[in-house]
Amino acid sequence: MREAVAGRYIGQRVRRVEDQRLLTGRGSFVADVEPEGTVHAAFVRSPFANANIVSIDHSVASRAKGVVAIYTGAEICLLTNPFIPFSNLPGQFTPPFWALAVDRVRFVGDPVAVVLAYSRALAEDAAELVEIEYQELTPVVSIDDALRTDSEPIWPAAGSNILYEAADQFGEVDEAFRKADRVFTETFTSHRLSNQPLETRGCVAEVDPESDEVVFHAATQAGHALRWTLAAVTARQSAVKSIRALAGNRGRLKAFARGAKAALAGTGDQLKKADSSGTIHQIRKDPRTLLYLGRSFLGTLSAERFPRVVAKDIGGGFGSKGPVSREDAVILAVAMELNRSVKWIEDRVENLTDGGQARDERLTISFAVQDDGTILGMKANLVMNQGAYPGVPFNCGLFSRIMKVMLPGTYRIDAFRLDTTVVASNKGRYIPYRGPWANETWARERMLDVVARELGMSATQLRLKNMYHPSELPAKMITGPTLDPTMTAATTLQRAIELAEPAAFAAKQEDARSRGRLLGIGFATYHEAAPGPPDYTDAVTPGVGALLAEKSEISLEADGTVTIRTQQMPHGQSHETTYAQVAADQLGVPMEQVRLVWGDTKNTPFGIMGTGGSRGGPIGGGAVQFSSRALRTKILDQAADLLEANVNDLEIVDGNIHVRGVPAKGKSFAEVAAAAASAGGGIGDEPAITAEFTYNGPPQGGWACATHVCWVEIDPDTGFVTIPRYLVVEDCGEMINPAIVEGQVRGGVAQGIGAVLYEKTNYDEFGNLQSSTYMDYLMPTAMEIPEIELHHLETPSEVEANYRGVGEGGAIGAPPALTNAIENALAHLGVRITEQHLPPHRILELTGVIKPNVASR
Amino acid sequence: MPAFAYHRPASLDEALDLLSRFGEDAKILAGGQSLLPLMALRLSHPANLVDISRVPGLNEIVEDVEGGLAIGATVTHTRAEEAEAVHRLTPLVAAALPLVGHRAIRNRGTVVGSLAHADPAAELPAVALALGARFIAVKSGGQRRVAAADFFSGFLTTDLAPDELLLAVGFPPQKPRTGVSVKEISRRSGDFAIVGLAATVSLDEAGLIASSALSFFGAASTAVRVTEAEEALAGQSPGPEAFEEAARIVSQSLDPPEDANGTTAYRKHVAGVLTRNALADAIDQIGFAA
Ligand SMILES: Cc1cc2nc3c(=O)[nH]c(=O)nc-3n(C[C@H](O)[C@H](O)[C@H](O)COP(=O)(O)OP(=O)(O)OC[C@H]3O[C@@H](n4cnc5c(N)ncnc54)[C@H](O)[C@@H]3O)c2cc1C
Repeated sequence: MREAVAGRYIGQRVRRVEDQRLLTGRGSFVADVEPEGTVHAAFVRSPFANANIVSIDHSVASRAKGVVAIYTGAEICLLTNPFIPFSNLPGQFTPPFWALAVDRVRFVGDPVAVVLAYSRALAEDAAELVEIEYQELTPVVSIDDALRTDSEPIWPAAGSNILYEAADQFGEVDEAFRKADRVFTETFTSHRLSNQPLETRGCVAEVDPESDEVVFHAATQAGHALRWTLAAVTARQSAVKSIRALAGNRGRLKAFARGAKAALAGTGDQLKKADSSGTIHQIRKDPRTLLYLGRSFLGTLSAERFPRVVAKDIGGGFGSKGPVSREDAVILAVAMELNRSVKWIEDRVENLTDGGQARDERLTISFAVQDDGTILGMKANLVMNQGAYPGVPFNCGLFSRIMKVMLPGTYRIDAFRLDTTVVASNKGRYIPYRGPWANETWARERMLDVVARELGMSATQLRLKNMYHPSELPAKMITGPTLDPTMTAATTLQRAIELAEPAAFAAKQEDARSRGRLLGIGFATYHEAAPGPPDYTDAVTPGVGALLAEKSEISLEADGTVTIRTQQMPHGQSHETTYAQVAADQLGVPMEQVRLVWGDTKNTPFGIMGTGGSRGGPIGGGAVQFSSRALRTKILDQAADLLEANVNDLEIVDGNIHVRGVPAKGKSFAEVAAAAASAGGGIGDEPAITAEFTYNGPPQGGWACATHVCWVEIDPDTGFVTIPRYLVVEDCGEMINPAIVEGQVRGGVAQGIGAVLYEKTNYDEFGNLQSSTYMDYLMPTAMEIPEIELHHLETPSEVEANYRGVGEGGAIGAPPALTNAIENALAHLGVRITEQHLPPHRILELTGVIKPNVASR
Repeated sequence: MPAFAYHRPASLDEALDLLSRFGEDAKILAGGQSLLPLMALRLSHPANLVDISRVPGLNEIVEDVEGGLAIGATVTHTRAEEAEAVHRLTPLVAAALPLVGHRAIRNRGTVVGSLAHADPAAELPAVALALGARFIAVKSGGQRRVAAADFFSGFLTTDLAPDELLLAVGFPPQKPRTGVSVKEISRRSGDFAIVGLAATVSLDEAGLIASSALSFFGAASTAVRVTEAEEALAGQSPGPEAFEEAARIVSQSLDPPEDANGTTAYRKHVAGVLTRNALADAIDQIGFAA
């Protein structure tokens, strides 16, 4: 381990600043918040997947010990607006829905009523006493159920259970398939997963009965998005009242207009690329959307109380705490109605049921290839099972667009067609999960192995032959984004081949087979937009890129310390450490002098993304770097005055600003701060000098690349898969902190292995959830996860702040590497792996040892 | 967790009094490793919990004169696992204990509690069945002994009446020339088994199989022995052929339930695989033969 040196932190394995606090039990999580007089919430949830609510009787429950109030869907409709789509793709229908089920339940766990009592236990006791009569309807569970033309629409306004269909074509697809020597087609299905952060969801709506202030404490990955969404949903008042209030409160209107203008400044051109036909389609299908939109908009502008969102430590999210939960809106609405603080911390059963689920996709892929392995074209058909309620603010539609752009991967594919369908079903809501597009990588990398086998080539040979090598770049992916020479996926594969020696392994495998042992090796290579170049965002969602910019505010405090304010919401990614490293290097101060402020919408810059999408390093970190530089310039200017020296002669070493070579006559940051404060007429604790920078990622590049290699041994008697070796070669550009990069990659790989061998959100054919506890939803533990070997390429770039995200990659690479290894181990038995979840019994079904049981899959 | 009244009797009589007073409305609380999760999930709503942890005299492991062993009601898995007498006198129990959950669970959970709970996937009921253990049940004004074969009556149910407390479990001495083995597969380390078995094999002086026990967990609604396979082994020379045949009978005769961790076909197949492995393992320990 290299020791940290002040003045050069980037690239060092600096110890996490967060650990002291978290490991000594001094973290502060939402469950630790409990204002005086708080009442506790428990939700009454549907036991049925699909049913009409006939009646609700809470008279007995209301009289139960400690109960303060009970609200049902009918009452929530009077207190809130429905959730309406944040953005709609052309042709997409996104049903508006209420925070509680109103006259119909749509999945097992759908919240029907909320009970508020003096403790969570009392609320749960009373919740059991709420009597609800249901009339069961036929559940729609699987993708095939939903696609059946006679399946009853879960959202009647949609007209069917198909919510979105799109066809995208690039290049001459038919011709490519006509010309090809061979065409291979296979269908791949992935099961449902659940994100499973250590800390479940939770919130406390803190209402000060004396004032109008409402503080919404939450475990959230995106505080500002949560704030605005909740404001829109809970701002329920008549239009007349809204308009009156607006007239009386021009301040907010003006502030809003100013904000909108600022947000649009310089981005108007980008926004023009946006296609608004989705919203029009939506309104046509369900005209009430217009009413809801208007009411939410007016209400948001005029409501008396506007929540402030505060988050402190967050115990993980993996994407699940970016979406806004319906429960959040219920808690805020009832707290404002009761004028008292309300707390809800969900338990694990609720989290597994309604905390968000992911994947659940089917991808059919066809490759048109020449006998020598040259890929001429690719066709894919993607079906995504959204579950009942669309995710807010992002639903399946957006993630399908990422898959559209990324499906061709790092391969030279000149003809590509994708057909996309999003269906509704009576399952929990689909949300993003670490690499929400990951199944495009899984299915493509799986399919390439299939093609290689059919052609009698090695899997690595086929990949290398078709891949873009850095020397051939820049080039454009057929789907739009530009790959620059720092897109080094091919280099990671070459390095992985050197390290893994697949040829030597093949001999070992042969020998093992002759002795009844099943060994296998699997490769997977990908590049991911982390964050990608601007034309990547344009290819995914034209016009939206502008909204993703991120501001970093930085200040020199009166005491000489430096404070950074970010819209990022660290929840395990070590921002306090890495941002301090970045800023300290720019400013020339010890890291300990830099402090990160996050989590409170009142004192952090606005940003809708929060932490997600592997953006914390590249965009958040980039913003910190550039704002720190701006601050440095201002500090040096001030110091030059003070030292009566030329700015260009100054240097900063370990917090001492002096004329180069004359450290003895230097000034400290505190002295500069004092000078700046008196010059600016500042007093007391106000920051002495401030700077800021808004950053939206690099002008080019921004690709993180990796190759994963997985070795397996499979027990032919029991079907158990063990992983004797696992290797990752990755390139995320310059590493701010290698230890943190490695932690991110390892955690992702663990989740990818979990997906294949252990974790499954399991619904039966009636839509009953079979995996609502950790007895049935199997999280891998340290015992199940192998040592993960990591190798880094740090490809330099002419682009400054050459940091590329590593939050998601591990989880993307592991499922294809592992399933490829499993097929490789079983190839001589004629096994083809087309599903992602492979518990031991499924392995033995595939090897023909036991009879398949379709129902149990 | 639903509300309940908590009682912590200081004597056995007091405990039995409480049980006879509340009957169906009371549950004994031993290590709580099975009962409390059920209550937390609101699947069990006992009005009264009778915590027996402070009842004197129950936390004992006693050797009897015939070479058998009795384990009292509050002896934890860990304490039994670490007791020299358990290894010496009941190697099958000693072999099973490390497979019961994780260390943290074994530190609190009790041997007798596991038997009283009668989870069909638990190791110890199958061990008790394999060894022909005897259960000592007490209630106000009476004590009785129940044979293992009569004790486990169904899924999570035993022959115990609501007012009875399982005082101890007694294991008979191990026969000469006996080898034992516990084999199981579980999805993750420390999980309940998908399927497993506790096996004993005893040889006669000629080195042929005199008797055996093949007692399965995770294979039915209770622990079960496959007597046809045991009978088929009797008189056989211990070796791959005999084991293969026993495995075949096991796979054929079991009809395990299915869940996400394993289909019926899978459990049947693996039960056979484990039978083979367990028999070979048990014979290895005897040190001669085959
Ligand atoms: C995560 C986890 C994993 C586990 N894995 C395994 C495993 O792999 N294998 C396994 O076998 N077990 C496993 N267990 C269960 C564990 O072994 C329990 O310790 C055991 O099942 C019950 O013992 P207890 O003392 O905790 O009983 P309790 O939970 O206190 O009681 C269980 C039941 O037995 C009754 N009872 C207890 N003592 C008596 C008595 N003396 N007389 C009459 N009735 C009584 C109680 O009333 C209750 O109904 C696991 C538990 C957990 C939480």
